[in-house]
Amino acid sequence: MLRGFTLKNSLGHRPTLVLGLAVLLALVRLAVALELLPPGAYGVGAILLLGVTLEAMLRSFRPALLPGLGLLLVGIGWGYSHTPAVLVALLGVGALYWAWAPRMSEREQASFWGWVLVWPAVGLLLVWQIFPSLYALWLSFLDRFNFIGQSRFAGLLNYEILLTRDPLFWKAMGNTFWFVIFTVPLGILLATLVAILLNERVRLLGFFRTLYFLPYITALTAAAAVWDWIYHPEFGFLNWVLGTPGLDWLSTPQGIFALALAPLGLELKGFWAGPSVAFVAIMVMSLWHLLGYQVVVILAGLQNIPKEYYEAAQLDGASWWQQQRHITWPLLSPTTFFLSTLGLIGAFQVFTQVLIMTPTGGVLQDTLTITLYLYNKGFRDSDFSYASAIAVVVFAVILVLTLVQQRVLERRVTYET
Amino acid sequence: MTLPYALSRLLIYLVLSLGAIAMAFPFYWMLATSLKSPQEAQQARPIWVPERLKPANWRVAAQLGAAGGSPLWGGYQDGRSVTLRIYTDRMGPEPQVFIPTAVGAFSDPRAEGTQIRTRYQGDHWEITFTNASGESFRLLPAVVLLSKSYSSYRPELPPDAVRSSGDDWRLEWVNLAPGALGYVFHNYREAWLAAPFGRYFFNSFITAGTQVLVGLLLAAMAAFALARIEFPGKNLVWLVILATLMIPGEVLLIPSYILLSRLEWINTYYALVVPWLASVFGIFLLRQFYLSLPRDLFDAARIDGAGYWTQLVRIALPLSIPGLVTYGIFTFLGAYNALLWPLIVTDRPEMYTIQRGLQVFIGEAGSDYGALMAASTLAILPIVLGYFLAQRQFIQGVARSGIK
Repeated sequence: MLRGFTLKNSLGHRPTLVLGLAVLLALVRLAVALELLPPGAYGVGAILLLGVTLEAMLRSFRPALLPGLGLLLVGIGWGYSHTPAVLVALLGVGALYWAWAPRMSEREQASFWGWVLVWPAVGLLLVWQIFPSLYALWLSFLDRFNFIGQSRFAGLLNYEILLTRDPLFWKAMGNTFWFVIFTVPLGILLATLVAILLNERVRLLGFFRTLYFLPYITALTAAAAVWDWIYHPEFGFLNWVLGTPGLDWLSTPQGIFALALAPLGLELKGFWAGPSVAFVAIMVMSLWHLLGYQVVVILAGLQNIPKEYYEAAQLDGASWWQQQRHITWPLLSPTTFFLSTLGLIGAFQVFTQVLIMTPTGGVLQDTLTITLYLYNKGFRDSDFSYASAIAVVVFAVILVLTLVQQRVLERRVTYET
Repeated sequence: MTLPYALSRLLIYLVLSLGAIAMAFPFYWMLATSLKSPQEAQQARPIWVPERLKPANWRVAAQLGAAGGSPLWGGYQDGRSVTLRIYTDRMGPEPQVFIPTAVGAFSDPRAEGTQIRTRYQGDHWEITFTNASGESFRLLPAVVLLSKSYSSYRPELPPDAVRSSGDDWRLEWVNLAPGALGYVFHNYREAWLAAPFGRYFFNSFITAGTQVLVGLLLAAMAAFALARIEFPGKNLVWLVILATLMIPGEVLLIPSYILLSRLEWINTYYALVVPWLASVFGIFLLRQFYLSLPRDLFDAARIDGAGYWTQLVRIALPLSIPGLVTYGIFTFLGAYNALLWPLIVTDRPEMYTIQRGLQVFIGEAGSDYGALMAASTLAILPIVLGYFLAQRQFIQGVARSGIK
């Protein structure tokens, strides 16, 4: 009938495009409502969406397309600002597709369905991960952004203060450094020992594994409360075991190196004094919490090593220690590499146990960690810009460290071929 | 150097057992403290088995509880009498008995409305508390001042605290009519009633549950599309996913908070759930699995006329249940155990999750370590129970996330 109007070439990926624009328009509308984009952006987006839709409809017009267009128009006319309106518009896109589908090739249908399935996750990632990261970068260039009053663009001022004039930031970085140095190698070493022993065909393997893993699944909040009680100066269990009544572990800001070398007449200051006694107490608790996870991961790595290697080594007369040194350790290196990367990133996220055991960050802020400092700056001092600057610096540091780690350590990782 | 077999086995078990003790000790200590009275908890020398764990005391507690209310949970109901016996070597000076008044209370109907009678019966003092106040109470706290001139004395129910007070011993009970469960779980009941823990649990389960169910569906959808469907822009989607993988969580705290407060979502379930619905970890895990399924399975379904949605729901989802369980457990653990996020997006008690509620409780409980440990035990209980029921899934899930 209207064959003359029909353009010869097919719809192509236009339905997918309509769907994408309809979803993106919702995100634009959200940004306008939050005053992140000028109001005009929504109009431009709506016109673009309608234009593309009409062009696609005219390529092979059929009356069955009209209800879909109607729904889309209702959604846009309704303001597109709340969930029902957006759902009506997306329903319209669905109705359009239903009318289009019979004339679409298999490949074109696949393209539409692929995006239908991917959009919810991608939309959420865009709004709650990608956008906030960029927004944090922008905030870090402002001067004392919070909800009260106007803030002005201050360029790199926050970074300048942070990197050159902020002893607390460097204290937190130092603590993070000590956290990595103390917990990562020690944790991996202890976990490897336990895993090797567990792998020696022990009876009660399940029982031991259950016990070792238990701390990892318990909430840090509760676990920290228990350790706080164990470290209690007057009634704590630890002081009874060690016979050191009254020692207040969590309120001792002296560095452990400084304390250890004081009898020799050496006086260490600042960073070289080492992590404070309080922070070491927190690290011990963190080690306890994470050990089970490391054991289970290493145990899985051990079980992947072929038994033939050990049999061959035994035939050659290698001792138990030589087998561990020359077979287990190198073939375990992908696993240990994975755990050390994880430990490095995890050190920057230490928060809960510090907040519970030393709510203010310890005496003289000696247990301050990066995340606690960020929390303090952002939510206790309400300086969102400065906190964002901390976040951006941490992002950069983690990125550089993981890259360096991959370059330096990964070369020494033995992957089995 | 090779050790004899038996010796090396012994060494292995010794090291493993020592480690296991070190790992398990904090849990034992938490449980033991949660069953202690304040005086038991605050000892320089640790008490290994609290009085409340001794079965002999349970019987007495049940009898006293039955007299005041019920044998299980006790109580001090109107018109009931509760009688405590204190065995002594002889009939010495009469003990002084009273009910301690709550600190700062103007009038205390429980103390004023109670008739206390003491008389000596052969080898013991019998102290009877009769509730004539016209009201019922949950607890019957009591203090007995007993002269130090007695060379020995033994109350039926061990006192929660014994202090020296001049020429007397001051024996204190937090509850003289506890009932068996009310006696053992005294700290649990007090902690539970001191803060809205029921509400906290409800919030935690609602948020973690939604996050798991909706998150699973979204991740499975995206993973299926990425693994099985060819569509333009797939590389762009991968780029978004890989980019999110690099973003550390701290970066998101401030901007997400600003976004949430502009949306007026602070103190809502949306704030606790929506930002964490899409998980890159889940998409990776499930995509890997869908790639490993034979292609023919889906092609055959397609030829039979099954659309992509049908393929996902009828074929991919049922086959990937182990992966879904792994991911589900992980998401639930993460959501249930989280403190930082609820700390930022909620500041009203009715929206607190259990960890946030526990954190506030820790700040308020002060030196009541029994209640503190009871609340901590309650907070980890659901996860620990789930772990003991589905251990294999928990541990396999972790191992799988490690191998990559």
